[in-house]
Amino acid sequence: MNKKLIGIASSLSLSVAMLAGCTGGAATNSTEPTNTGSNSTSTTSSTARPAVTAPPIEAKGDTIKIGLVASISGALKPWGDDSARGAKLAVDEFNAMNKLGGKRVELIVEDSGSDPKQGQSVTDRLIASGVIGIVGEVASGITAQIAESAFRSGVPVVAVGATKTTLTDVGNNIFRVCYTDALQGPVMARFAYEELGLRNMAVMTDNQQPYSQGLSASFSEKFKALGGKIVREEFYKSGDTQFTSQITNLKGLNPDGIFCSGYFTEVGIIAREVGQQGLKVKLLGGDGWDSSELQNSGEAILGGYFCNHYNSAEDRPEVAQFLTSWKKAYDGSTPGTTMGALGYDAAMLMCDALTRAEKLDTHALIKAIDETVGFKGVSGVIDLKGHNGNPPKRALVVELQKSGQVFAKAYEPEEN
Amino acid sequence: MTWLAALDVNGLPQQLTNGIVVGAIYALIALGYTMVYGVLKLINFAHGEVFMIGCFISLFVSWSLGYTSSSIPTATNPSALMWMILASMLVCGLVGVFLERFAYRPMRGQPRINSLITAIGISLFLQYGLSLVFPISPPRTITEQVNPYWQNSVSVTLRAAPQELVNDRAKVVAELKTAVDAQNARMKELGIDSTFRLPEEDKYLVTTVRNLEAKERELGADVNKSETRITVPTGKMIMLVATLALMLLLRWVVMGTAVGRQMRAVSHDFDSASLMGIDVNFVVSMTFFIGSALAGAGGMMAATFQGVALTAFVGLEYGVKAFVAAVLGGIGNIPGAVLGGLLIGMLESIATAFGQSAYQNIVTFFILILVLIVKPAGLLGSAKAEKV
Repeated sequence: MNKKLIGIASSLSLSVAMLAGCTGGAATNSTEPTNTGSNSTSTTSSTARPAVTAPPIEAKGDTIKIGLVASISGALKPWGDDSARGAKLAVDEFNAMNKLGGKRVELIVEDSGSDPKQGQSVTDRLIASGVIGIVGEVASGITAQIAESAFRSGVPVVAVGATKTTLTDVGNNIFRVCYTDALQGPVMARFAYEELGLRNMAVMTDNQQPYSQGLSASFSEKFKALGGKIVREEFYKSGDTQFTSQITNLKGLNPDGIFCSGYFTEVGIIAREVGQQGLKVKLLGGDGWDSSELQNSGEAILGGYFCNHYNSAEDRPEVAQFLTSWKKAYDGSTPGTTMGALGYDAAMLMCDALTRAEKLDTHALIKAIDETVGFKGVSGVIDLKGHNGNPPKRALVVELQKSGQVFAKAYEPEEN
Repeated sequence: MTWLAALDVNGLPQQLTNGIVVGAIYALIALGYTMVYGVLKLINFAHGEVFMIGCFISLFVSWSLGYTSSSIPTATNPSALMWMILASMLVCGLVGVFLERFAYRPMRGQPRINSLITAIGISLFLQYGLSLVFPISPPRTITEQVNPYWQNSVSVTLRAAPQELVNDRAKVVAELKTAVDAQNARMKELGIDSTFRLPEEDKYLVTTVRNLEAKERELGADVNKSETRITVPTGKMIMLVATLALMLLLRWVVMGTAVGRQMRAVSHDFDSASLMGIDVNFVVSMTFFIGSALAGAGGMMAATFQGVALTAFVGLEYGVKAFVAAVLGGIGNIPGAVLGGLLIGMLESIATAFGQSAYQNIVTFFILILVLIVKPAGLLGSAKAEKV
């Protein structure tokens, strides 16, 4: 997930700093605009990625070290905690299966502090400590920095929830287990047009997030291609707290629904405003809505739909098994966000590749991950062979209700 | 002229009202900046953080009254809002006094840049320090039910829609309600949570609802086109009235009480005022108390009636806007802060009405620059030669 809440905070503190004539604040995640070509199946693009040139790093002894970069502190904490718990669960289960002839996998967890710069420095530390693979991160901004370091030393990276489309172009050692932004926009457009019967949509875009801009663009394009009409696109920026005028504008145009492509922090306020002004519209969004708190931000958001990676109510054996072991490992709780399942998948995919690698070094591991076919993850089947690190994933549309996220419809990869 | 085409003339009175409501909160916070600048010639950059603390205090009070995110008390509690605003104002006022006593007073008498840097330091310290202790992740919001009137709104009709259109719409709304009830009853009967899992033979329930929704929207569009009205949710109305009341109260304190007279004296000339026997430390403390209490009230109202998601950085946006408002109106001038706040709110609103929501801030800051070129002291500020 392209979560850049830290970016919000830092850019705002930067604006204060500018007024005061001083520089400082945390690093902003600099990201280029997301690629949102008309090709919604860009997960299968065929352009070759630069190959790793660094010499292979070998795992010595009976312990194979795998690194995990997670946002254990900072604004992304809810996702970071879940991804770390998921990854630990996967490694524990894998070690219990004893598939490596007596060798064990050791997961070394480092905290990125939700900050791209810190993410890069802990990646360097992990590489120096001799890991042969890295799992992480949940946000594209941080993952881009991890990828940069990892490409230099040739260590494979399996990203957890980084959806920025161009992310895996860094090198042939970068993979992910989630879908890309070029997929979820069109999925929501189809859902709105075909399932909800909406014809006139308005779009609310966070102008400060390339994630939101890209998602709005890919949604609008698909929605128009289907025959729908985008009545108006309104803009705001991360950290904004007033949406009254934008919603008043939209009210005058009477749309059937509003697609809010930003993060839940602002979406909650937008929804409350929609309710207060008495607009009867469907609210839709992307995976930036994934939060255990959004359903508490007002009545109007309930009944809204968004695109997510996985849902615990799916009736697949992998999901049931995952939830059982999660409950056992973490005192009967359930994962608060989808990052639990994605973290589990990313770590398990890495471990699975270890069993298939010819040798226990980075080059063989990259090759093994790249040749993954039909890996049965909690978030769906993952195929990486011939997909340049971007697996064609299923996307789920979930409805937000007071009790949480309720599964509505799944879109299989071949349908996209 | 695409921007003209985007303008919905029918919506303009509503947009101006929106601007006033939003601007009132900016004005309330701007008062704190301007009062402190008035007496100390210090830009208190930590003012936005005082606002943030106010937001959190009301969150905690609402929790302690039983309004958590998962449950609300069965009986509505009309005094909840009162407790929240009083607690926020009191705590923020004390925080302001504390900040002045321990951060700014030791810097007094030193070059002004020292105090300024201290203010920025305090601001960052509070943001990052409190982000470690406050529940910021995932960001919490105050439940809207804490306001007993959260579903109501006040509206003024400037031009009414034809009666038969309104009647038609009311009929469809009633039909829609019956259809939704039927659908929900069936879902409950089957024990399912999503309309997507209704069996084929029951899908007609969903289709009926959809069709009625579409019809209602069409009629709604016709009604909207043929009428001009201003609607303000009751919560925002309370906010506006409370803000105006606080401003009048402030005016009385500054113009009509002994403390107010002392404040004006200190603001006029700090050193002479102290020579005349005014306890300047007390006056400065009072100024910080009042300014910070107003920010606390603003925090409570923004968090309660606008539903802002609360993080330790929530004060930045409001703080910057309010600071700009204070400068626009003429920093140090109390009516100027109010005027500046209202202007900023309305400018933002009008920019959006013209379809330029992407350029909201550009428009606002462009106007600010224009005003400062023509009148460097701000709209109501008095140009005073700096004694060097």
